[in-house]
Amino acid sequence: MWKDLLDLPRNVWRSIFRNPLPSSDRGRAATSFTNFFLHIQPVRVSKQALRPSYTMGLGLISFFLFVILTVTGVLLMFYYVPSTGMAYDRMLDLRSSVAFGIILRNMHRWAAHAMVAVVFLHMCRVFLTGSYKPPREFNWILGVCLFLLTLLSSFTGYLLPWDQLAFWAITVGTSIAGYAPLVGKELKFLLLGDANVGQEALLRFYVLHVVVLPAVLTIFVAVHFWRIRKDGGLAKPEPAALPPAAAAEPDVAAAAAVPAAEPARRFVIQGLVRGPLVKVGKLEEDTVFSWPNLLIAELVVLLLTIAGLLAVSYFFNAPLEQPVNVMHPPNPAKAPWYFLGLQEQVSYSAFWGGIGVPGIELLLLVLLPFIDRGKQGVGRWFARERVLANSVFLLFVLINVVLIVIGTFFRGANWQFVSPF
Amino acid sequence: MGAAPKKTETGEQQIPRRSFLAWMSGVGILGTAVAGVFSTFVFMKPRATYGQPNRFTIGRPDEFPAGARMAIDSKRVCIVREGNKVAAISTTCTHLGCIVAPSETGFQCPCHGSQFDVDGNVTGGPAPKALSWYQVTLTPSGELEVDKDNEIQTGTYLSV
Amino acid sequence: MRLALAVLSLVVLIGSGVVVYDQFHSRWEDNQKAYFNQALGLAKTPAERASLEARVPKIEQTIVTGFGEQRIDRCVSCHIAVDDPRFTTEKQPLATHPYSEAMGDVLRNGRWERRHKFTDFGCTTCHDGQGRGLDRADAHGDDSFWPEPMLGYTMQDGWKKEISSHLHGKEYMQANCARCHTAKDFAGTPLVARGRELFFKTGCYGCHRIEEISSGTLGPDLTEVGKERKLDYLWGHIVNPRDYTATSIMPQFKLTDEDRKALVIFLKSRRGSDLTESDTERFRLKSANVTPALPGVSEPGAAAAGPALTPAARGEKLVGDLACMSCHKLGDRDGGISPDLSYEGLMRDQPWLMDHFRSPRSRIPDSNMPAFGLPQADFEAITAYLLTRTTPPAAATPADTFKTLCVRCHGEKGDGKGINYLYLDPAPRDLTRAEFMVSKPQERFIASIRDGVAGTSMPAWGKSLSDEQVKGVLDYVWQTYVKEPRRQLKPRKVPEQNPAPTSAESIGRGEATFMQRCTGCHGRKADGHGPNSMDISPRPRNLRNFAFMQHTPDRRLMESIEYGVEGTAMPSWMDYGLSQSDVGDIVNYIRSLNQTGK
Repeated sequence: MWKDLLDLPRNVWRSIFRNPLPSSDRGRAATSFTNFFLHIQPVRVSKQALRPSYTMGLGLISFFLFVILTVTGVLLMFYYVPSTGMAYDRMLDLRSSVAFGIILRNMHRWAAHAMVAVVFLHMCRVFLTGSYKPPREFNWILGVCLFLLTLLSSFTGYLLPWDQLAFWAITVGTSIAGYAPLVGKELKFLLLGDANVGQEALLRFYVLHVVVLPAVLTIFVAVHFWRIRKDGGLAKPEPAALPPAAAAEPDVAAAAAVPAAEPARRFVIQGLVRGPLVKVGKLEEDTVFSWPNLLIAELVVLLLTIAGLLAVSYFFNAPLEQPVNVMHPPNPAKAPWYFLGLQEQVSYSAFWGGIGVPGIELLLLVLLPFIDRGKQGVGRWFARERVLANSVFLLFVLINVVLIVIGTFFRGANWQFVSPF
Repeated sequence: MGAAPKKTETGEQQIPRRSFLAWMSGVGILGTAVAGVFSTFVFMKPRATYGQPNRFTIGRPDEFPAGARMAIDSKRVCIVREGNKVAAISTTCTHLGCIVAPSETGFQCPCHGSQFDVDGNVTGGPAPKALSWYQVTLTPSGELEVDKDNEIQTGTYLSV
Repeated sequence: MRLALAVLSLVVLIGSGVVVYDQFHSRWEDNQKAYFNQALGLAKTPAERASLEARVPKIEQTIVTGFGEQRIDRCVSCHIAVDDPRFTTEKQPLATHPYSEAMGDVLRNGRWERRHKFTDFGCTTCHDGQGRGLDRADAHGDDSFWPEPMLGYTMQDGWKKEISSHLHGKEYMQANCARCHTAKDFAGTPLVARGRELFFKTGCYGCHRIEEISSGTLGPDLTEVGKERKLDYLWGHIVNPRDYTATSIMPQFKLTDEDRKALVIFLKSRRGSDLTESDTERFRLKSANVTPALPGVSEPGAAAAGPALTPAARGEKLVGDLACMSCHKLGDRDGGISPDLSYEGLMRDQPWLMDHFRSPRSRIPDSNMPAFGLPQADFEAITAYLLTRTTPPAAATPADTFKTLCVRCHGEKGDGKGINYLYLDPAPRDLTRAEFMVSKPQERFIASIRDGVAGTSMPAWGKSLSDEQVKGVLDYVWQTYVKEPRRQLKPRKVPEQNPAPTSAESIGRGEATFMQRCTGCHGRKADGHGPNSMDISPRPRNLRNFAFMQHTPDRRLMESIEYGVEGTAMPSWMDYGLSQSDVGDIVNYIRSLNQTGK
């Protein structure tokens, strides 16, 4: 019994971590099956996928920002109250009397803005590398949905400080929503819970922002990751020359082919993966083990994200303007930056600018993989074969960016043109 | 590349540089995690609450004549002055938290009949222990300040 | 990659360390520690020393519930020595809050007792500022987004330097004292009282409404202006209203800086509700709908103390009490904003003056004089007094006559920019605009001077000048300002009467043409406020000025439209395709707009 006590720490440790740190290829392969958090990773991953210049880690950054937003958001929930009488005061308290309140709020705000931008850039990367083509069409659509969910999350959160910036930005944004044909008025009333922005809107936006949208986002993110695995990992170019036999071989992703050097463990087929894939036992040249290479890459991206976010949050305070004054709209009253392009368009035509054109752009995005069925140019940046698609896309991106820039810097009181200099 | 690499169980070579870097990374990440957890706990503990403060002034000594036993229900405290000595006795019943009222023999709780003497010691009823005495100090501006976060021994008076 | 990981993880570790360290070393903690140390030095008993040594910095706050909505004031976290009388000679933030008898504090047995205890009042109730803030910039309200910076102390970044320099001083806090101490003669708020006095003496009460004090309707309601506006806006707007509202008709009143300070403090004290009233009390007062009584004005019919005054004498007194000279000129007082009333007995008659008092716009449609809602008897008295002003101006040289009578509006340079030109609509004629002046016959100018221009502020000077004097002034104007020789004018083919008969169809056609051609300058309402109107000089005419239209014959209207008006932006519409019948329809339309009104 005394020996049991002495062995206690070791036994506790061993009961949690049943496998030693891998020191052989088999061990490294096994990490995908022996650890809950790591089993989302494939056993081997292509070297191209790990190259920073290929993806710039944008997808990962988006995900990590989402995690950071969730964590900081939950912490902020311990002090924030979604009441029109108390919300602003609680924001003041977060800035002053709450320990770490100011850095948490800053991190949450800047991460939110960053996430919208990074998700957008991630979408650009996926487009420009042709990574939406079969079998990845559905994943692309999931991505578009995630982009919309990100925008909605940012928008619902924007109202919560209940200052002039928040109140009037949401007034403008929900009014744009009100222009939707047939359902516009109903939609606006549903969102606001009342004729105007007030306590009901604050409460609804709070629930959406804190429960509904994160839950839906999580589910979509989960399926998005699942799809990455099942589609064979990140899109990469077709190998230059493959022996026909290799291309026609049946696909098995399990480690069942591993020679049983130690008969203690046996593995069964976990599932089928489509597309050009990685086979244990018949290693392709340009892949490496996920452990530790993918993990290190992911950690680097995580730490970069945290470092950048910490730095920005330390030096720059998130804005907090005057308390809400329903009689005094600021002139001009501007929507959040990601909707300023829309607001600029709306200043030309309410329906077409706010609903029509964005609707068409969204439809094009969603239908993209079914419109563009060419198989060429996948997995490469700016592939020659896809010059038309890339140019059209970049044109749309440029137009939207220019519209946002105009709306941000070149519009002043009464939405008149002003010089920012 | 430096010292001769050690050999592991399976015969692979352990690279010193790699393990050094791995160790550094571990320290960095673990350290950050610890800092994060620590900060979270500090964050969660409120530094300023929105309820009644536990330290408050009650007035100048001469507002309490000798022999006064003034119960301030909103603050759950009874100010007692004997001669030139002042004390503050809690009026929260130690049984289940009702507010006790001063009586001829001391204090009386209306909820379950606990009885206390003039010093707050239990003389009857279900109360398990005596009423607390709170620290009373004199502020530099000459006012009496009660600090409910600071309990003192029964019978300790402040001389004014 | 591994190197990047190692480096980054250390960077993040150091960064986190910096963030954590920062949070534990706030300024307020340092201030409190400094206080504990100093108090330790002053401690007299071991018990005191022990308790000071045991003290750790902690957020100190007061939750104030008695004054409007709940506030939390954390000022004491830095200003920890605020109630410690031993720190009176220290520098801020460790200085004791001053005691003074003016604030009701009492010195008893060598010790001060504070009347306004901080546990009851907090700090921001009197000082403004942001109570919840814990660093200096936040707490004092330095951030220009905070609506209530500390009165008399904090100047926000956006404030103009020349205004900020006037806004320093504890006396600005009187505005907050008045939130409870609302008695008019309260000793502690002399500047509020002076401001209220000036509110009447300068004539503000005529245009602006403040609940229970005045009921003017021409300008914005100032009942809550102290809540809505900061000190810099109040000061700046009084100095020059057009810096804040480009189209404001509020005059620039002649005030000393002392006066302005008092007015600003008075206005800042107007927060819409004072802290002594309950909501029910306010409702009761509101529904009672009491018309505020103006100071110094006696009730009609009331037995006045002292000998009974003649109406004219009473009128003279009223003119002084009611601050008419904060705008007008009369005797030796001159507000510099409105016409000179020194010859009013000659220039106007009783019906005109009574109408004008009842409603200035009934006589001069674009006047910026408010309708003071005084009783009839008061108007009669003032009219009686004004009618006694019958001494004509001294018969002097035309140059002197111009200087005495005309410069006020037409300016020393004759360019129409006299001291009150901003407040007259239509604006005084620019006499240096030669193209206009030489395009009109002399008779017209003689008539304008002699008979005045109805519907404008140009009075009939013929009532105080002889015909020779009138002609002399016109010649003087020609020599000095127009400077071009008179011209022989070509006769123009314009009928005396509008040839188009008045009919619904004619008016309809005229309206259609008007909407197409004329609204750019004259506006859709034909009131002269079209989108282009602010950019042209002289401004387009208000075609609904019925007094003016009544006295303007068809011929003149038709000539102006067909041939344009030289020296102005009114083009010759004949050259743009309007026929005479079109012009006739337009004139009918314009006439139809001027049916109502006296």
